[in-house]
Amino acid sequence: MTGRLLSGINPALAFGLVVLVVWPMAFDTPYGLRLFALAGIYAIFVMGYQFVFGHAGALSLCHGTFFGLGAYFTGILGAKFGWGFPATFAASALAPVVLAAIVAAPVLRLESHYFALATLGIAQVMLLVAIKWEAVTGGANGIAGVPPIVLFGMTLARGWPTVLIVWGLVAALGLAARAVLGGLYGHALHVMRENPTAAMSLGLDVARLRFETFLLSALYAGLAGALYVHTIRVISPEALEFHAMVACLTMTVVGGRTRLAGAILGAVLLIHLPEWFRFLEHYYLIAYGLVLLATIIVAPNGLLGLVEDARRRLAPEAPPPAPFAMPLPAAARPTVPTGAILSLDGVGKRFGGLQALDAVSFDVRPGEILGLIGPNGSGKTTLVNCITGIYTPDGGGIRIAGTDVGGMPAHEIARLGVARTFQNLNLVDEMSALDNVAIARGAARHLALGTQTGATAMALARAEAMGLLEAVGAAEVAMRPCGGLAYGTKRRIEIARALALQPTLLLLDEPAAGLNESEQADLAQRLKALAGSGLTLVVIEHNMPFLLPLATRLVCLDHGQKIAEGSPRDVARNAKVVEAYLGPQEAAEVVA
Amino acid sequence: MLTLQLLANGLALGAAYALCALGFVLVLNATGAVNFTQGDMVMAGGFAAIATAAMLAPLWPGAVPGLVVLPVVTAGMAVLGVIFSLFAYFPLKSRPPVATIISTIALGIVFQNAANAIWGPEPRAAPPLLDASLVRFGELAIPKQSLAVIVVAAALIAGQHLLFSRTPLGRKMRATAQDRTMAAAIGIDVNAMIALTFALATALAGAAGALLSNTFFVTPSDGTNYIVKAYIAVTIGGWGSIAGAVAGALLIALFEVIFPALPLIVPALFGSDALGWLFSQTAASILLYAVVLAILFFRPQGLFGELVQRRA
Repeated sequence: MTGRLLSGINPALAFGLVVLVVWPMAFDTPYGLRLFALAGIYAIFVMGYQFVFGHAGALSLCHGTFFGLGAYFTGILGAKFGWGFPATFAASALAPVVLAAIVAAPVLRLESHYFALATLGIAQVMLLVAIKWEAVTGGANGIAGVPPIVLFGMTLARGWPTVLIVWGLVAALGLAARAVLGGLYGHALHVMRENPTAAMSLGLDVARLRFETFLLSALYAGLAGALYVHTIRVISPEALEFHAMVACLTMTVVGGRTRLAGAILGAVLLIHLPEWFRFLEHYYLIAYGLVLLATIIVAPNGLLGLVEDARRRLAPEAPPPAPFAMPLPAAARPTVPTGAILSLDGVGKRFGGLQALDAVSFDVRPGEILGLIGPNGSGKTTLVNCITGIYTPDGGGIRIAGTDVGGMPAHEIARLGVARTFQNLNLVDEMSALDNVAIARGAARHLALGTQTGATAMALARAEAMGLLEAVGAAEVAMRPCGGLAYGTKRRIEIARALALQPTLLLLDEPAAGLNESEQADLAQRLKALAGSGLTLVVIEHNMPFLLPLATRLVCLDHGQKIAEGSPRDVARNAKVVEAYLGPQEAAEVVA
Repeated sequence: MLTLQLLANGLALGAAYALCALGFVLVLNATGAVNFTQGDMVMAGGFAAIATAAMLAPLWPGAVPGLVVLPVVTAGMAVLGVIFSLFAYFPLKSRPPVATIISTIALGIVFQNAANAIWGPEPRAAPPLLDASLVRFGELAIPKQSLAVIVVAAALIAGQHLLFSRTPLGRKMRATAQDRTMAAAIGIDVNAMIALTFALATALAGAAGALLSNTFFVTPSDGTNYIVKAYIAVTIGGWGSIAGAVAGALLIALFEVIFPALPLIVPALFGSDALGWLFSQTAASILLYAVVLAILFFRPQGLFGELVQRRA
């Protein structure tokens, strides 16, 4: 009985909570409690930062600015205009979110280093504004006399009341973050972070996910900033300086980027770090820098990562049992008006001086298995990337089931019923096979913040994913991380993931590569069965013994141009095709 | 007249920005890593110049000229660059690029606070390259320092160009920047080339600091401004383009100097003081950054750059 009662309790979590209760009791001085309240404030800041840096994988350097903006709004509105706490708190939450929404358009689509530096520029501008706009901000001196928190007519005293309010908010905002990140949404962010291309191809709106996490993190930073200024009672440009950002970044890296417990651990440790390095006096930031450097080198997943690794090594956990499989709901297949499910008309793509695709035109008809062949570098994968919206073609038209998809983002094309697999396997290694497929089920239901985030959605997606893994013969590895799986198994999981989207058109990029003969035969059987059920397939392949009996039609590319199209027999014997594969000399010998 | 004087100032500032941006691009190309400390290296160069001048003072009758200090600073900074790479880059070279950004941010913080601990937060000035006099061309009077900075920076940039285009060592460094695997395959010691690139980049930043800190002073927190300027220069010039970075640096420096002075240059256009707030250093910085955001939005490949797409 006691065993069952205790089994639901995570001993590490229980230990952490006890420490958090005992800590402020042990350091029960005004100064000790103030530090503990600051630790809670930074924990909120860091939890927010984890959305964008930990989960979305974008190194933002303007979150110190969001924090400072929250602080300034509370400071100015409270000290100068006499607004009450509920109003200033709401303003401090809103202002950073508005700023984040404004700057998101140019900066959010930038890749890592561009993004980091662009956000740093925003921080610099805001710091300049705070220093120079003296009439409002008080300039370099700032504004003193920020009122304390007043709730329901009661002034919140320093010491324990502040600690309780702050840590109450830590708990509430932590639970909120957990609710957002716990299910499919958090997993989708993981896919996006590890592999944006795969995420887009699954129909995940990467731009929207990034935008949502950026705004969420700005919200948390603004709330933390408001609490900060209520605690220290003055506001000055120091709140906007790079130090606040570095403190947050260091806490996130030291604690652990994606774990809420890491946010709390990092904040509590680093707020108290200057106490332990008192001999450095004002230069304790040197210690911050060194701790950050040491952590990034020695423990890239933070202290919590170290603890989790150690626990896994000492007491390896058995993977949880696989869920029961569930069939997919019946898909509403779009009607195909023109007779062609995919129609290419003069598609071109140029990379610098290389014409990767040159006026490629052909149609793919419903239910057929079209083989796309051509020597290495002939443009096959580029064509698939153009069809799926990973690349934007320079010229020509692509229609999918009659819809012009020119310039359409990848996730919208995926939502039209186009799924693909990748030549160079794009699964998330540390995630289980089941969850890799389950994300696609969430994506098929248009996963976004507020939809598909609950536990039920996760359970349903996993059950459906289990059914798909059974269908491709990979059920036995469902609960294992993808990283350690055999090549052929990974290919099957990619196919299951693509099928999870219930596509009308499936593009397979070298599905037989690396498979042995029996695996190839098995794959060919499965693909034929899929085509039999009404799915249209485009198969890129070099392996002719695999492709010739499978394909109903072949198209051959060479140097970006279509050089042959027709039945497998005819194309395989076509002189141009033979020449493209073997070079003119040998081709002549073969023909002779 | 005024315009020409401003032009000289702008070019001097731009030349120093260019040295900083140039080093940033060299490391970026060689390692794929963003060196966030590049701005703090400019700051470090400024303080190194002050310290070196103080050390040489007993050996020199009168004030120590910057031209004597500069080679010492540049050499010292090159050594610092190698040591820096041993901590900030080499332990992390097989990690995602963001790890290097964080490690260089970390070391930047260490440098800033170490400088603060040693020299304090007050602005300080290094000695001028030659002296503080003006050079007169008829009615035109230009500080000798500005001209000297332009000449020295131009010489350093030309030196870097000659190193890369004319010497076997430079060719090896370029090969490393182009394709590390390939360079290693043909027997180039890639790690040595990368360490050398860090040495060169840090030396250029240090020279920029020594050149700037006479006219523009130096404080420990200057680095952030310089890294942002280097970034803007590289963004305008096209990510990874060496010539683009230099051109971008000159453009932004000229803008920073000329824009706040517009009411002085063409007073007829701005009769009243109503627009005074617009023509300030702060407004120039904000406007410059707004322009960069617009560039990023409409031309992510930079003004002169070509769009590079990742392979799926």
